[in-house]
Amino acid sequence: MSHLPPWGGILVGARLEAYSRVLEERERGLGAFLELDPRNPVRALDKDGKAATGALAGLPFAVKDNIAVEGMGLSCGSRILDGFRSPYSATCVRRLLEAGAACIGKTNLDEFGMGSSSENSAYKPSLNPWDRDRVPGGSSGGSAAAVAAGMVPFALGTDTGGSVRQPAAFCGLYGLKPTYGAVSRFGLVAYASSLETAGVMARTVDLAQAVFVAMAGRDPRDRTSVDAPGEEAADRRAHTGGAAGPLAGSRIAVPSGSLLGLEPGVERGFRNAIDALRDAGAEVVDIELPSLAHVVPAYYVIATAEASANLARFTGISYGARMAGAESHEELVLKTRSAGFGDEVKLRILLGTYVLRSGFQYRYYHKAQKLRSLIAGELAAAALGVDAIASPVFPTQAFRRGDPAMDPFMQKLADRFTCAANLAGLPALAMPSTLEGGLPTGIQLMGRAFGEDRLFAIARVLADHIPPAAPPLYSEECPA
Amino acid sequence: MKYQSFVGLEIHIHLRSRTKAFCSCPAHFGDEPNTNVCPVCMGYPGVLPALNEEALAMAYRTAHALGCTLERESFFERKSYFYPDMPKNYQISQFARPVGRGGAFEFELGGGAKTLRLRECHFEEDAGKMIHAGEKSLLDFNRAGCPLLEIVTEPELSSGTEAEAMLRSLRRLVRHLGVCDGNMEEGSLRCDANVSVNTEGAGLGTKVEVKNMNSFRFVREAIEFEIERQTKALDEGERIWQETRLWNENHGATATMRRKESSHDYRFFPEPDLPAFAASDEYLAGIASAAIASPLARKRALLALGIPNERADSIVEERGLAELFDAALAAGAEAAATATFMESDIRARVNRFGLSQVIERLDGPGLAAIVQGLAAGEIGAGVARAALDAAVVEGKDPRKHLEEASRSRIADYPAIEAIARSAVAAERDSADAFLAGNAKALSRVMGAAMRASKGMADPRALEAAIRKEIGS
Repeated sequence: MSHLPPWGGILVGARLEAYSRVLEERERGLGAFLELDPRNPVRALDKDGKAATGALAGLPFAVKDNIAVEGMGLSCGSRILDGFRSPYSATCVRRLLEAGAACIGKTNLDEFGMGSSSENSAYKPSLNPWDRDRVPGGSSGGSAAAVAAGMVPFALGTDTGGSVRQPAAFCGLYGLKPTYGAVSRFGLVAYASSLETAGVMARTVDLAQAVFVAMAGRDPRDRTSVDAPGEEAADRRAHTGGAAGPLAGSRIAVPSGSLLGLEPGVERGFRNAIDALRDAGAEVVDIELPSLAHVVPAYYVIATAEASANLARFTGISYGARMAGAESHEELVLKTRSAGFGDEVKLRILLGTYVLRSGFQYRYYHKAQKLRSLIAGELAAAALGVDAIASPVFPTQAFRRGDPAMDPFMQKLADRFTCAANLAGLPALAMPSTLEGGLPTGIQLMGRAFGEDRLFAIARVLADHIPPAAPPLYSEECPA
Repeated sequence: MKYQSFVGLEIHIHLRSRTKAFCSCPAHFGDEPNTNVCPVCMGYPGVLPALNEEALAMAYRTAHALGCTLERESFFERKSYFYPDMPKNYQISQFARPVGRGGAFEFELGGGAKTLRLRECHFEEDAGKMIHAGEKSLLDFNRAGCPLLEIVTEPELSSGTEAEAMLRSLRRLVRHLGVCDGNMEEGSLRCDANVSVNTEGAGLGTKVEVKNMNSFRFVREAIEFEIERQTKALDEGERIWQETRLWNENHGATATMRRKESSHDYRFFPEPDLPAFAASDEYLAGIASAAIASPLARKRALLALGIPNERADSIVEERGLAELFDAALAAGAEAAATATFMESDIRARVNRFGLSQVIERLDGPGLAAIVQGLAAGEIGAGVARAALDAAVVEGKDPRKHLEEASRSRIADYPAIEAIARSAVAAERDSADAFLAGNAKALSRVMGAAMRASKGMADPRALEAAIRKEIGS
């Protein structure tokens, strides 16, 4: 496969030494990793002790530090899990290891996946390889920075409301949020269980797709996971197209209002991508999706409600950091959680607890679930009528670190394009468009359930028109 | 003033599935602490529950046996509260769609019966166990994640005695269903009681929840104590607090644990990690077809056959024994004789070798052959027991043993006469007592003669010979 060189054999002998040195140097500049050890990667060995051979044989990869890898840390970017080592591996990781890939480290993130800049990590910020004054996005910002800087060919993230796609857009990568249930969640430290999935970030469409295919499929340990239905699996073909272009006969819908409130660069990047798709033969149609107005409030009510229960287990009693000096169980829990969680996490736990109070559920939680059904129904119907629904990924390009205009409230409002796919459980792929002002822009294509391959096929065509670029400082994947 | 008391029960039964409710750890009591645990039941970061359908089927079967309306789409919810032995600090339980709703349970009470209406049955996971040892508190998570069925009754019992009777009958039912061993001391059957007392006709009073009653007797005593306490308080014009009280078996009293239970907000919401369980028509038909005769119905059938109450109880206590009884009758044995033999000889072997060994090795026709031989006077009690032991201890067919015994039986009249003569000589006092009118004294002579024959003498011929020898 085209993605193998120059990565094949990089974890062996002299190439490993060179690779390790480059990784150390780039890591010093970016802070992408919370744990990095290319000399002792986690990999699957067969019964003779030989490394697994598969579609991803010999490829190093990085994993967001809220996904379990046996023997490695699992801090979730939080003090409360400081020092915790995972006794097991997530199913998605295990499947990549079995396909021959080797995990070399864990990447930085906004604490428990709550944030859009990776500045909410309790440990350190990560920097954007395109401009180190800017954030790499979040919450999977460390993974995005590592891939964009050529440190690994691909990395795993988690996407609850855009946490794979937004950093992919900020760093000029492909970022896939699969259909809910297509990839097992077993081993993802839960933030909002009904919304999130594991996702992949890569510099090429082929590799992103190969990783997705290796991870996908039902897992008995995640009862919400399923195999792709047969007819969708049979659709794993490049779109044939015709004389009028490779996308002839394809319909791509653009929801009205998609261009509202965008930064000029984002708007130009989006228009360029749409023009390219049209040039390739796609028919671009407008579509009304009125329920999109409710995406952000519905999303934050459901996400915080689930988070308030999901994060209740972190008390320092059987694992994780425990604060000293408590005289009772209540005091121990209080001290541990007060010191262990950051402000954004506390805010979301409080919100979630509030919306689930008995007597208030109809006003918040149940109402949000009704909105979710409405949104999911509208999007699923729209997705069935077209090949993809196109929108920007995020209204801004990578913003500056500590930018006061992008406070946590503004970041949440900006999630409207990405969150819709999570509420509807539909697949969405962020892909690079043109550079604007020297920074990447992206476009999101949302597809029908289990229609990932169609999205990849369109992304391949777009790549022919707008070839993805690498950050100037890190233009070579290491070591070329 | 005249008062009325209302008692409702919340009963937890530990479902006897091989593995826990949501992971593959053994659901087994009595092992070394924290050995039956894994990342899932310990609530480690990133793990997910996977439903144990064997345990859920037990819940459905129990709800069906209790006459509940079975839920076609039951789902799970998170019940949030912080407690040291709750690994996730939420319990996976059911709220809006429990496996069963409504229903009623008829149980024996005194000489009669009472029917208690039920609110619902729901499936949930157990917490771990906290043990306080001096300054330390120790946690054992072996029990965490074990499957439970909670049965919630209407507050329609009126006394501790009724509650105890209800629980004993329920214990028998769940044991017959094979879904729970019903052991209160080990905690596999647990019960909390809601007790309120009010002036007659005024409806429910202020609800007090009583916990920590880990035997049938404590359930009765704690509820009786609580009714008396509340009655006295009302008499003296005191306020009854809505609260949770713990039974203290050493003091024979309940004491306040916490007040204002109602301020607990569990913030139930549907468990996003588990799809709803769709009980199809086929599934529900399977549950219905696995139904068993209730122990109460079985007991009534025995009483109708003229079997005395306690003897009927001893048979119905175990489903295996009740089925053995039915099988023996089907093979032609007479009811009263079978019941008598079961209460004495079979019960003794159950106690010694365990129920499973007895019912695995002794079938209805085998038991019928022994009972019929006894009833016809073809064999004595000794041979009957030997045949029973041949089956239970050695795993032989008791009918084969009876055949062999009949071949070596001493039916030769001169030999019988000789045995009778020496027995009467040896037991002269008993023989005289018999002549003087003490009918029971004959059995002592019979016993000595039987022993002398090593159990092989034909009992009818032997008795005739003894009577003749005594000269009666």
